[in-house]
Formats: sequence, structure tokens, C-alpha cells
Amino acid sequence: MGDTISFPHLDYAALWPMLILFGAACVGVLVEAFVPKAWRNTVQLVLSLLAMGAALVMVIKRAAAGVTAANAHTASDAISIDKAGLFLQGALLVLGIVSLLLIGERTLETGGPFVAQAAITVGSEADRRQAARESGATEVYPLALFALAGMLLFVTANDLLVMFVALEVFSLPLYLLCALARRKRLLSQEAAVKYFLLGAFASAFFLFGVAMVYGFANAVDFNSIHANISTSDKPFALLLIGLAMLAIGLLFKVAAVPFHVWTPDVYQGAPTPVTAFMAACTKAAAFGGLARVLYVGFDRSNWNFTPVLGVIAVLTMLVGAVLAVTQTDLKRLLAYSSVANAGYLLVGVLGGGAAGLSSMLFYLVAYGFAIIAAFALLTLVRDADGEATHLSRWAGLGRRSPFFASVFTFLLLAFAGLPLTSGFTAKFAVFGAAIGGGQTWLVLFGVLSSIILAFPYLRVIVMMWLSEPGDTTPSVSIPGALTSAALMVGVLVTLLLGVAPSSLLDLANNAASFVR
Amino acid sequence: MTLATEVLAAAGQVGTGEKVVFFILAPLAVVGALGMVIARNAVHSALWLVLTMLSLGVFYIVQTGPFIGMVQIIVYTGAIMMLFLFVLMLVGRDASDSVIETLRGQKVAAIILGVGLAGLLGFGVYEATRGIVPVGLEGANAAGNVQGIAKLLFTKYVWVFEVTSALLITAAVGAMLLAHRERAAGERVGQVAMMKDRFRPGNYPGPKPGPGVFANSTSVATPAKLPDGTPAERSISPILPTRELTAAEIANKPTEGK
Amino acid sequence: MVATLINEQAEAVVYAPATGLLSYMWLLIAIPAVSALILLLAGKAANRWGHWLGVASVLASFVLGLTLFFQLRNLENRSVVENLYSFIPVGNLRVDFGLLFDPLAACFVLLITGVGFLIHLYATGYMAHDEGRRRFFGYFNLFIAAMLLLVLGNNYVMLYFGWEGVGLASYLLISFWYGRPAAATAGKKAFLMNRVGDAGLVLGIFLMFAWLGSTNYEVVFNNIGTLGSTTVLLIGLALLAGACGKSGQFPLQAWLPDAMEGPTPVSALIHAATMVTAGVYLIARSNPIFSENTTLQTVVVSVGAITLLLGCIIGTAKDDIKRVLAWSTVSQIGYMFLGVGLGGGAYALAIIHLLAHGFFKANMFLGAGSVMHGMNDQVDIRRFGGLYKYMRITWLTFMMGWLAIIGIPPLSGFFTKEPIIVAAFSRPGWTGWLFGLAALLGAGLTAFYMTRLFILTFHGPKRWTTAKEGLVDQHPHESPAVMTIPLILLALGSIVAGGLMVTSVPQWLEPVLGPETAEHPKIAHGALTALSLVLTVAGAGLAYALFRKGTALTPQPAGVLVTAARNNLYTDAFNEAVFEKPGNWLTRLLVFVDNKGVDGLVNGLAAAVGGGSGRLRRLQTGFVRSYALSMLVGGVLVLGAFLAVQLGWMG
Repeated sequence: MGDTISFPHLDYAALWPMLILFGAACVGVLVEAFVPKAWRNTVQLVLSLLAMGAALVMVIKRAAAGVTAANAHTASDAISIDKAGLFLQGALLVLGIVSLLLIGERTLETGGPFVAQAAITVGSEADRRQAARESGATEVYPLALFALAGMLLFVTANDLLVMFVALEVFSLPLYLLCALARRKRLLSQEAAVKYFLLGAFASAFFLFGVAMVYGFANAVDFNSIHANISTSDKPFALLLIGLAMLAIGLLFKVAAVPFHVWTPDVYQGAPTPVTAFMAACTKAAAFGGLARVLYVGFDRSNWNFTPVLGVIAVLTMLVGAVLAVTQTDLKRLLAYSSVANAGYLLVGVLGGGAAGLSSMLFYLVAYGFAIIAAFALLTLVRDADGEATHLSRWAGLGRRSPFFASVFTFLLLAFAGLPLTSGFTAKFAVFGAAIGGGQTWLVLFGVLSSIILAFPYLRVIVMMWLSEPGDTTPSVSIPGALTSAALMVGVLVTLLLGVAPSSLLDLANNAASFVR
Repeated sequence: MTLATEVLAAAGQVGTGEKVVFFILAPLAVVGALGMVIARNAVHSALWLVLTMLSLGVFYIVQTGPFIGMVQIIVYTGAIMMLFLFVLMLVGRDASDSVIETLRGQKVAAIILGVGLAGLLGFGVYEATRGIVPVGLEGANAAGNVQGIAKLLFTKYVWVFEVTSALLITAAVGAMLLAHRERAAGERVGQVAMMKDRFRPGNYPGPKPGPGVFANSTSVATPAKLPDGTPAERSISPILPTRELTAAEIANKPTEGK
Repeated sequence: MVATLINEQAEAVVYAPATGLLSYMWLLIAIPAVSALILLLAGKAANRWGHWLGVASVLASFVLGLTLFFQLRNLENRSVVENLYSFIPVGNLRVDFGLLFDPLAACFVLLITGVGFLIHLYATGYMAHDEGRRRFFGYFNLFIAAMLLLVLGNNYVMLYFGWEGVGLASYLLISFWYGRPAAATAGKKAFLMNRVGDAGLVLGIFLMFAWLGSTNYEVVFNNIGTLGSTTVLLIGLALLAGACGKSGQFPLQAWLPDAMEGPTPVSALIHAATMVTAGVYLIARSNPIFSENTTLQTVVVSVGAITLLLGCIIGTAKDDIKRVLAWSTVSQIGYMFLGVGLGGGAYALAIIHLLAHGFFKANMFLGAGSVMHGMNDQVDIRRFGGLYKYMRITWLTFMMGWLAIIGIPPLSGFFTKEPIIVAAFSRPGWTGWLFGLAALLGAGLTAFYMTRLFILTFHGPKRWTTAKEGLVDQHPHESPAVMTIPLILLALGSIVAGGLMVTSVPQWLEPVLGPETAEHPKIAHGALTALSLVLTVAGAGLAYALFRKGTALTPQPAGVLVTAARNNLYTDAFNEAVFEKPGNWLTRLLVFVDNKGVDGLVNGLAAAVGGGSGRLRRLQTGFVRSYALSMLVGGVLVLGAFLAVQLGWMG
């Protein structure tokens, strides 16, 4: 036992963003313990924003310093902070900051969108009291930081085990956040339990897949898997079983059919800011991870996975679009639209090559901003019972508050992919990449699904503008500074990426390379 | 530790002892897993799971992974499952939990799909590993099993190993968040107040009577009787299912004085 | 810029960069767009002056368009492009936000802004009492801006932007009176059928990207010859699908007549003069693509011929004044498709017919609006009669439109429809006879149903009622000046436009559409002209004889043909059989459940989607164990698929 182990070199410059977020989250937990209640929310919000901002600065600094094949890997090649990874980290941080603004909103209702004490029995006297008066739990900030840090790790993991740990690190806080809605608490808790159970189910698949891949490649890092696919003389069955199961785990997170079943329930039940966070950031992280698995680890067996994942992409686009048609709740509608959008993203990923990757990166950012803005708007339309998300309640909103109705209309048109919105540019990019990659059939179904999907969006627009407001049409609250900022950023970016997308496209194009 | 590895490293060949162990424990592990799913009582389920976990722990040790085997037995089976059992017993089994499946075809479909998945996996793995000699155990255990794991944990996976702490913190914060109820200053009840409450008029301060078991029947669900012959509600635990009493149990027992 | 990509060919399309005043052509689009923005966002404050802002913005665009038009005349190659900025500049995706002002675009700009201005003016009177007037003008300006973008873009993506924009504006305007269920349904129908067409256009654009690497007109047109003929056919068919959807051509014609539920100025502007001709514009603009492949041209010609006959026959049996006009629009656009399909010199003929049609059809639609305005929104021509006494100006102007559309010389329709018939007869082979006769027959039928419309509305015995005589109180009266002045101007246009344009416009368009070609019709030119005039007069005379004495107020038992025509020639039933049934079967297949029958293509597919959606929704039970089950299904399928792919490959 005389041999010594040498500690691996850790490139702290590359790990700073994660270190900052994890550190800030730990400090946040301490803040809970030591800072007086009245101050906690402010302290936590400022701390979280500062941490995310600092992490973003670190990401930018790193990107500005230049990423080469030589300096991309760190921690014995377990982490790969390459260009695509940095882009994803940056995107996650920016989207995270914007959704944190929604999480931090406290003026729309007393105490904000989160419950003060989740342990109090729903519907009891104490519950009514806390719903009316007490300020929301501030533990959500460290939880959000942990989730975001996990996502940063997830998109840069160069090893399946690292990826699994990161998956759990970002999932667990999300399960918890889902359960903390201030209103409709039973729905929220149900959503959290469903998400948790199904998430555990999917994680089990992922882990089993890791074991199978290890059986094939004798390793779980992407480089060895890649090398083994062409050199190993073992049958491919183990590799393919492994890949299938990995794919199941990842497709669950991106909400692809048939692993999408949790999406509507969870999106509806979770507090709306958390839904926005999930819709933007989880999607980005999951697709980042999926792309890395497929591009870095398994690209040599793409003739194996492309047809299967292609069918899944088609199903995802069609089922998401078809189911969105009959939804009567706006949060569920957006959930199904996010399912369909996962399909479009998959089309981009399967397009392959740098074009596919860059189109996916662009789409993630464009969609993230639009969906955060849409959910931000959803938090504004409320009545005495909290948010009024039923479609019928939005009838005639265009008369009552034309400004917000116009903004929402714009966002819906963006989702429908109308030109001069980011939705058009993003769809154009992914479909263009898929055609370039020879996957024209996917584009055919993509166009078909976007025709169907335009219908529910249009129904909402018609509902808002072309119906008379009823007695039950809720009012639109005046947003606080934080929500206004989030809304404004989301809408402006959606417009900007529709009118002048070139700078971000350039950025995504430059970033579209993984380092093996 | 070196001893263990030497004894257990049976490179590529499956020894007789290993075979015997496998063919005894493998069915038990499967039975345990099935039992966990089928059992109606949560405590029974947990105990079935213990059986499976123990069997797996032995497998790990047999396959020259003493560390993971011991961890499986000590941590999972010994600590986590026992904690789980404690919690189950503290919370109490809720008798109102329905075990009847309301969704049509759910069970059948689940069974068919489960068997199908197992079949696919089994077929695939069988196809893939047929005629392949397992290798690499000596290499992994060259410097000792624990040392090998330690080396991985502190070199390649050191960053991830540290990150798992985030998972633990999240779990702790989450448990606090979902389960802990902060009481306001006014809500907190002191010892004096509790005593006063206990002896307030109308409350029953004494210990509760035992059930009527052995007096009239052999069931703990039989209430004791008050001097006037009426059943004493306090004498049975509220979590027990109420059952209809037989005529013999209801009948007043004659005392010797009569 | 892309000039470097151009092949050095003799006939290479080259556009000069815009300079001087021409570099301000973006203002053409910007003025109405800004006005629309102001009108839609200003709120109640703009209620009083909003509509005048709308009118002024279109007038400004028209004046600017006219100025640019004169500038363009002095240029050598009469085509200028202006790249505003790079829209998508990355890698193989290169799209510029660029404008192209050439003779074809100039024609359309003048039509859109000129006719658009008159219709805007008319609408200030027509919508005077509508509380949504400001919103209406906002949508109207939005439409103008989008339509201008459509014709001014220098690549297919810009064209698509405008295409979507006019679709959106049209949808909003059709369902403007959303209180009427028919209006809302019609709006949805229009939207969905247009989406089907749009999907074709999008695919065409993607195919260009895939094979040519660009959507710039210059690059596409200069390199289309390098592609195989099947490839060109595919691109062309995709574009044609888009054109059919937008222009209400067979088999996507059903939405256009229903779209008449919108306010009449909308019908005049969008569904007669401008938007529905976007399909013709698309094909004329893409003439290098369509000229490349004869099969493609045959398809276009067939679509045109079928639609023109379909529109005529259905038009004869309709009793709603706006529907008759709508079907006549369908039929006239059929003529234009016939023209662009014939290729060569006929491109220019289709364009002049389009321009002339813009005048006389807008004129008649506005005339119909004026009639409805005076008749308490009555639309049934069986309940008009003898109106010429009460609304002289409307009667006279409508007469000009009527004479123009049926092709009486020297009104404009004669000069523009006649050459198309001649060109059809000039097509080589037996198809020349086929399409020529179809066009000729169409001319006769057009004369018949338009005369019927005119006679029943303005002449014959009075069949309407006043308060004393019946339930509906109607006092026919002439419309205010603000409505009649546009009518008069448009009537003037209907009279002179054709004669003025018949030689000048083809020359003007030569840089874009190529030189005129000598026609060699199967029948001598003079004889053909005489024949078509005879047919026209015969059709009109027959109609006069039949309807001189008025008509019954309720549908009479009729022969097979008339019944068929009343039922839109059973095209809805056809749609039902072709589109709805498979849609239903698909649904059944999807969810293993039966689906109830619904009528119409759109309703059918929409219901198929909705029904499928409703049934799929039931799978979303809310029970986590059933969710887990569906994930397990997915897991087994994915795993099975991977293994199957593996076994399939390895044998």
C-alpha cells in the first residue's frame, strides 16, 4: 500500500462559476439561520443576484480568455468547460437571473408567490392566516442557487457519473421548489410528489444505462466511450441498451413524448416563477447534457440513435401540439407548447454537426426568454384567489388592459413562430440545420406541428381581443420593479432576436463545438 | 483487506462456492423484491426490501467488492432501512390507505410491461455477454479494494464528490422546509400551561385504561368496559380498525357476587 | 453582398444598389407600419382622428411610391436593391433584410397603395358608426405594410414575412365582427387553410436553402438552372401550394367566399384587389423557377383552368351579392394563374389582368357595400331590384365594373382577359385547345352570372320591402360622398386602365418577366376575339332574358347542375371525403375510438385534431402511477427500437 495518489489539477478559473454559486447557496442557508426575518428576503435576493452576476462575469472572463482543446478539461477530464459548455453556462446564468427576478417579486401579493411555512396543514386556520399575512419562505433562494449550480455542472460534465450527480443536484431543489406555492397548495404539493416520483424513476433508468455503458466500454467518460465504439470487439447490444436508458433519463428532463407526462401537472402546480425557471433553465440544461452525450460520447453510433430519436422528436412535436389544442388552462397550454418545443429542439440536435448544435443553442436562449416573459405575464393576471389561469377568465382582457394583452399577444405570436419574433428565427435555424443534416422528414413534421400549434395560440389571442370582458375577467396587477424588469427583458430579447438575431447567432455559431 | 481481495479474486472463473451462494441468494433477492411490491403492509414491504438488500450486499462481497458490500449492509440495510422502519412505525400505518387499483387495466399493463422490459434487458445482456470472460477485477483491486475506491474519489471524481455535499444540504434544507413548523412566540406552550391544560375541567388526566382483551375476547380491538357495562372508547387505540363485536363480547360477564 | 455568387451568365439577373431617393424605399413600408402601431397602441385618445391618420399614411405611401416609380423609369436596368441589414448572417444561413424595387414591385406598390388609399377613404364613411373603427384602421394599415413588405422583399424570407403578416391581418379583419359566429368561423377557416398553404411556402424556402444555399432572388434565379428537374418541380410545387392557399385556388378555395363575413372594405381590399393576388405575384416573381420545368407549368395552368371554371359555375348559383363577387374573384384569379402558368409573354398578361381586376373588383365590392349600406345590410340579390333609381352613382359605377369584368370593349377587362384566352389557345399541342376552350367558356359564364347579379340588383321589379309592406324596413338611398368618390375613381380606373396598360405594362415589366412573345393561336386572333365577344354577349343576353322580370324569392327546384352549383359543386363534400375522412381515420387509429362526423375540410381536420386531442387528454389521468406506466411503455419501446435497429443492421 505504498503507492501515493497525486491530487488532480483543478482549474479553478474554470470552476469559479460553480464554486461561487455553491458557496453563495451555503451562505444563503446560513443567512436563514442568522439574519432576522425582516431582513432575510432582501439579503437573500441581493446575495443570489450578486452570486449569479459574479458567476456570469467569471464565465465571460473565461470565454474571453479563450478556450482551446488544451485547457478545456479539468479535474482529471471529468469536467469539460469547452465553448459550448461556456455558452450554455452563460445562457443558464442569464436566464436564471431573469427568473430569479420573478422568484424575488414580493409586491404582487403579500409575501410573494411562495408559502411561508410548507409544514402547516393545508386549509387550516393557521394556513389561512399565513396565506394572508406572512412573508414567503426565503429558503427558495439557496435552493434555486443549488439547482442552477447543478445545471452548470450538468452541461459541462464529461463523464456519465458526473452527469448523474449533477442531474440529482439540480433536480432535488426543483422538486422542493415545486411544493412551495402560496395558493392552491395541494395542487403544488401533488405536483412536487409527482415530479419527484417520476424523476426518481427516470434517474433509475439513467443510472442503469450508465452501468450498461460501463459494461461495454469499461469506462463511463465520454472520451473512452467514443474511443471504444470503434475499437471494441464486444457486441453493441450493451452499448445500445445503455444509450437507450440514458436517453430515457434525459428525455424525461427535456419533456419528450412519451416521457412528458409530468410536464402539464408540474407546470400547473408549481409556483409560476418556478415554472418559468424550469421551463427556461431545466430545458436548457437538459438539452445541453443530451447534446453532449450524443455529440461527444456516442456520435459514432449516430446511425443507431438518429432514427429512434427522430421518431421521438416527431411524436413530441405532434403530441405536444395536438394536446395543446384542447387545453383550457394557460399554464397547461404553455406546458404542452413546451413539450412541442422540446420536439423542435430535438430536430435541431438531430440535424447534427456544428449547425445543429448552434441552432439548438440559439433556440434555447430565444425560447427561454420568451417563456419566462410569458409566465411573468401570467403572474400578473389575478383575482382574489391568486392567479387566474383558466382560459375563459382571459376573455376580453384586451379591452381591460390593452397593453398587457398586446405584450402577451406578441409572445404568443413568437411561440407560433411568426416572423420578426425570436420564435421564427429559432425555428428557422433548427429546421435549416435539420435540412442541412439530411433530416428533411423531421422538418416536414415540424412544419406540420407548427401549423397545428398556431391554433391554440390564436385561440388565446382571439379570446383576449375578440370577446367581451365578463364580470369574472380578472384585473391585471401593476407589476413590481422585479417582474417588470423580467418581463421587459424577456419581451425585448424576443423582439431583438426576431429583428436582429445576428449577434447571438454569431455567438452560438462560434460556441458550437464540444471538446472531446 | 488484502487478504479479502486475495481470497475473493477468482479471476474469470466462477467458483463452486460462489455458485452455491448465488443460487441460494438470487431467488431470495427476487422474492424479496416481489414481496416488497406485493405486500399490503408497509412494514412488511420494508422488511422484504431488507431481504433483497442483504442478498445484494452478499453478492457484492462475493464479486470482490467488499467495500460496497459492507456499505450496502451497514448503511443501506442497517441504517437507512431501519430509520425508514422507525418512521413507518412512528407515523403509524394508515388503515384507510386503499390498496384496490381503481384504474382499469393498470395492473395487467404494468405486469406485462415490467416483464417485457425485463425480457428485453435480459435478452440484450445475455446476447452481449455470451462467451465473454469478465476481466479487470484484479486491476481495479490491485492496490486493495478500499484504496481503489479512495483513489477514484480523490482524483477523478473529487469535484463531484464535493458536489454531492450540495445534495445533502439540499435534502436537509428541504426536510426542514417541508416538515418543520415554526411556532410564533404566542403559540409556544410551556410546561405549566400544559399541566394546566391537562387538569382543566372536562379533560381526563389519568392514564387510559387497557383494552378488554382476555376479559371478553382475545382481540386488542375489544374495548374494556366501564363499571356500568358500557364500552370504554379510550381503551383502544384509534388507529385500530373498529370491528363489530360478537354477542359474546357484548354480553356482560356475570361477577361472582351475582 | 451576394453579387459575387452570381454565375457569369449572359442573362444573369443583376440588381443595382439603390441610391438617392430610391434608398428611402423602406419608408414605403415604415409609414403604414408606424401608423398601425400608433393606432393599435394609442388607445381611446386616438378614436377621433385615428382613421384619418390611417388614410393619410397610405396616401403618403402612395405619393412616395409614385415618386419612386418615376425615379425608377430613368434608371438603366430599372431594378434597385437595398440591403437594410443582415438578418441572419451566420454560416450557411444567410438572410438579408433587403428590399428590391423593380418594375414588378413598382406595379404592385402602386396598386396596393393606390387602391388601398381609395378603399381606406371609403372605409372612413363605411365604418363611421362602428365603435371599433380605430382598431379597424390599425389592422388595415398593418395589412398595407405587410403587403408592401411582401412585394418589396428581395428574398423569399422577406416575402414570407409579408406573407404571414397579411395572413394575420386578414384573419383579424375577417373576424372583426367577432360577435357573429359565422365571422369567427370564417376567420378560423381562412387562417387554417392559409396555414396549409404557408406550410408549402415554408417547405419551398427550406428546399431552396438546402439546394441553393440562399433565398435571395438573384442567387436563386441565377442558379435554378443548375438543379435537376425533379428538384425544381418540388420547389415549384411547394411554392404553388403556398400560392393556392393565399389566392383561393383549387383545392384551397373554400375559405375565400366565407371570408366575406368581414366588413365590405376588407373584402374589397384584401379579398379582391390585393392579398389574394399574392399567389399570382409569387409565381410571377418566381418566373425563372416556373419557366424551368414544363410539368410545373402544366400543373399551374391546370389549377388555373379548374379554378376559373369552378368559380364561374358556382358563381351562377349564389344569391348573396358578396359571395357572387367572391366566387368571381376566385374565377378571375384562375385566369391569372392560367396566365402565369402559360409562361413566356403571358406572365405580363396575368399581371395586367391582375392590375385591372384590382380596379374593377374593388369597384364592385365597394359598390356592393354601398348597396348594402343603403339597404339595411341586406345581401340577398333576390331581394333587391330596381335600385338604379335610388342610387344612381352606385349603379353607374357598378355598371362600369360589370362591363369591365365581362370584357366589353373598350373597358379594361377586354384588353386584359382577351390576350390570356389567346395565349391559352397558343399553347402547343392538344392542351392548347383544352385550356383555350376552358378560358373561352369561362368568359361566357362570367358574362352570364355577372349580368344576373347586375340585373337582379339594379333592374327589374322591386323585391324589397319597406316598413309598411313587410317585416324589414328598407329605404334605399345613395351613400355619402366619401364613399361615392372612391367609387367614381375606381370606375374610371375600370374603364381606362386596361387600354392604358395593355402595351405599356408588358414593356415596363420586360426586365423582370422577359420580352413579349409572338402568339400563334390555334384559331386566328381576330376570329378568337370575335368568338369570345359573341359568347360574352350571348351569356349576358341569356341572363338578361332570364332575370329581366326578377326572380323567385326562395330557391326553386332545379336541375342537377344548378343544385350542384348551389352546393359549391360538392367541393365541400369532396373535401369531406378526401381530407376529413382520412383525418377521422387517423384519429381513430390514434385513440382507437370512433369520431363523430363533421363537415368541411377545415372543420374536419380541426375536429380531428381536437378530437384526437380530447382523447389523448384522457390518457392524462392525473394518477402518477399511470404516468409511470406510460413512461414504462416509452422505455420498452425505445429499448426495443434500439435493439431492433441494432439487429436490423447486424443482420
